[in-house]
Amino acid sequence: MASRAAGVPETFPKLLIRNAHLYGSRPAMRHKDLGIWQSWTWGEALEIVRAYAVGLSRMGLKRGDTIAIVGANRPKLYWSVTAAQMLGAIPVPVYADAVAEELSFVLAHADVRFAAVEDQEQVDKIISVKDRLPKLERMVYDETRGLRDYDHSQLTSIADVIEEGRKALASDPAVGKWLEAEIEAGKGSDTSIILYTSGTTGTSKGVMLTNERSIRAAADTVAFDKLNERDIALAYLPIAWVGDHYLNYAQGMVAAFCTACPENADTAMADLREIGPSFYFAPPRTLELLLTRMTIRMHDAGYLKRKMFDYFIGVARRYGERILNGQPVPLMGRLLYAIGNVLVYAPLKNVLGFSRVRVAYTAGEAIGPDLFAFYRSIGLNLKQLYGQTEAFLYVTAQPDGEIYSDTVGPACPNVDIRIEDTGEVLFKSPGMFTGYFKDAAKTAEVMTPDGYVKTGDAGFFDEKTGHLKIIDRAKDVGKLNDGTLFPPKYIENKLKFYPNIREAVAFGDKHDFVCVMLNIDLTAVSSWAERNNVVYGSYQELAGHALVYDMIEKHVAEVNRSLAQEKLMAGAQIRRFLILHKELDADDGELTRTQKVRRGFIAERYAPLIAALYDGSKEADISTEVTFEDGRKGVLSARVKIRDMAPVAAPALEKAA
Amino acid sequence: MRATGGPEIAVGDVLLSVEAVSLSFGGVKAVSDVSFDIRKGEIRAIIGPNGAGKTSMLNIINGFYHPQHGRITFKGATRSRMRPHEAARGGIARTFQNVALFKGMTALDNIMAGRTLKMHANLFWQMLRVGPALKEEIEHRHRVEEIIDFLKIQDIRRVPVARLPYGLQKRVELGRALAMEPELLLLDEPMAGMNLEEKEDMSRFVLDVNDHFGTTVALIEHDMGVVMDLSDRVVVLDHGIKIADGTPDEVKNNQAVIDAYLGVAH
Repeated sequence: MASRAAGVPETFPKLLIRNAHLYGSRPAMRHKDLGIWQSWTWGEALEIVRAYAVGLSRMGLKRGDTIAIVGANRPKLYWSVTAAQMLGAIPVPVYADAVAEELSFVLAHADVRFAAVEDQEQVDKIISVKDRLPKLERMVYDETRGLRDYDHSQLTSIADVIEEGRKALASDPAVGKWLEAEIEAGKGSDTSIILYTSGTTGTSKGVMLTNERSIRAAADTVAFDKLNERDIALAYLPIAWVGDHYLNYAQGMVAAFCTACPENADTAMADLREIGPSFYFAPPRTLELLLTRMTIRMHDAGYLKRKMFDYFIGVARRYGERILNGQPVPLMGRLLYAIGNVLVYAPLKNVLGFSRVRVAYTAGEAIGPDLFAFYRSIGLNLKQLYGQTEAFLYVTAQPDGEIYSDTVGPACPNVDIRIEDTGEVLFKSPGMFTGYFKDAAKTAEVMTPDGYVKTGDAGFFDEKTGHLKIIDRAKDVGKLNDGTLFPPKYIENKLKFYPNIREAVAFGDKHDFVCVMLNIDLTAVSSWAERNNVVYGSYQELAGHALVYDMIEKHVAEVNRSLAQEKLMAGAQIRRFLILHKELDADDGELTRTQKVRRGFIAERYAPLIAALYDGSKEADISTEVTFEDGRKGVLSARVKIRDMAPVAAPALEKAA
Repeated sequence: MRATGGPEIAVGDVLLSVEAVSLSFGGVKAVSDVSFDIRKGEIRAIIGPNGAGKTSMLNIINGFYHPQHGRITFKGATRSRMRPHEAARGGIARTFQNVALFKGMTALDNIMAGRTLKMHANLFWQMLRVGPALKEEIEHRHRVEEIIDFLKIQDIRRVPVARLPYGLQKRVELGRALAMEPELLLLDEPMAGMNLEEKEDMSRFVLDVNDHFGTTVALIEHDMGVVMDLSDRVVVLDHGIKIADGTPDEVKNNQAVIDAYLGVAH
């Protein structure tokens, strides 16, 4: 493995050429189109990307230019990235679901001259903000539908661009030579991509990564997880997210594994099952969603099946993780687990598309210990990693066999971690970024003089395991007025473990007690409503239903009981809660594009509700502006009820003391 | 591939014309003495208050009702009586005001059903699913997949339509009509009962069908915003009588139309 890492070429286009030589007839890319999986080998991919690069250069794309990539995971968009890199241009992927406003910010900030987009929707979005993008000259698009009557003076289909390049390559051998020289001129130290952060804090910043650093980081983790050309991954996460660029693009190039693109975003689950990936990544949210759906379907199953499922999941919870970790397990336990595997776990994994997964990762936010344990207990090798865009993803990752739900693992190979006195985690890694695009001041803010990067997360190394533990964002950990520690995420995560609760936002910093605002999970609660004869007409009505409040109150009480068990947290029990009348949404700015809660923004937006939570009133009125998917705005008003919770007495700690 | 039969008609020429058509059920006059035409390639809307005779008009066009008076000329051929299956063969497809799908079948099978008229292998081969029938089925499946892709319903391909929300059922129904590769597509209130977002999606699909496949569309719709945005020309019926015909702007400012919709002091 080490020898492969050492011999790895220094740029992505050179990697593609290497893969075409070594694995020419192995699949590089798959895409489900018109109901059938289409595939392209590394050899074919190289031919297409070369033609594409020539076509792009004829349109004027040259070394140092930036080109935006906007759309879902599609082969042509991945090839756009490599084709641009062949010419020494810098691809800038943008989240496909970004509204025109966000899109124009990134495109203008990155000075893009070209944009490779998926379809009419993206073309329309860019045209709508065209006056703010004076540098944008031309768009190329993948999906032709609906675009026939558009003004094509600044618009070309990607297929045509490739075709033109192909013709030029065929008719004039000098073009091929010229392209070889361009690829050869690409250096490892060139910026290979600019990834804009999702903007958890303020506006997004353009993180510049280089060829050699990206490849070196990917080579380390490819060796760490023993990935090779026979692996396959489903690329279903946003192309603009560092995770997709790392896991699928960079690792895919280094290990030469096959990247499969789903038919569309809604079919990802079904496609997962058809492809049967061997390397899988899912944020905790997706794993939660899968479990919720599964639980609901089990509720509808027959009596016998339900009993069997419950019994063997119990067996898995007792022995499954220990078997996966290679720890000693009594013979009876192994026997029962083997039976359970035939009857429940294997079919279950098959339905979820996990049958062939060798390595699965989750990251992005803390995962509920029960949720994590569930997947591991049925035999999925799920591990946690910790990272960020600035590190080109990996900072720490759990090695096989050393898995703890509350840690994120030791530092990755060649990564150096330092913890400041404030608790903030700093790192230095092979893949780390070279700076923020056009923002030296911000770069200086996060980069220490000795070359470490500040993560903004608070954490510490666990004494027992030597693994890193992340508690919360360093700046988010607060204190109640009586001095009790208040880590909001810790409380929110405990609540979010219940399938009925989709999102929770906790408040308490500089207040007397802790209050939370909740979002119910529509899938889970509507199924519950059906079984309990609760009638409702809308999300808002369901969320405000007294019986729903009663049910959620039980969950909150359980969380309080569990908080009461912990000496430090007993004072941070939830004293009042409310259920929000609308789902928190990234389009309204309440969540980031990666679906993280923007607490500060929510506190401002729902200020009347927070005031009501703390002034003792039983209900409060709120009206908020909402943004529809097409960008228009409307106003949503509601009266939201508030429930009081009795604190649970801490168990007799004196006895222990 | 277009529906066969009849001469080719150029875009902009009259595809279908209705001349002095009257229809009554016993003593009730549903449509009286209505004339208008539909030109190839346009989106033609038929609007009017409740009970104006819009659906009756659509049923006359596709041969479900037979008018007592008047003539209908489709692709140059004049007829007074036509059976629905003849209309289908001739290239007229429709969707219904109340969704009329095979509820227990999947979305895919429902759309495949729209290809029935185009299947030629005999029943024997079709039951065995080998030889010519298999080859034919693969071809048809390809066309159906294109429609599924076009309507963006890949994720519900294998879902029985009874389990789908209303808006999606409407979309599947449109898919089935498109599977016939019609020359004239009749849509009976395609946006009825939809929320704003679904309406916008459906409008987009209607425009795309018209643009992408060049299909002529005649639609009945209540939502005035939709009608004014989508259609090239509008015909307005009231109590079975045509009261206006023209571009959306002309119709919007027509006093008779305003009176019909808002009522008038007598």
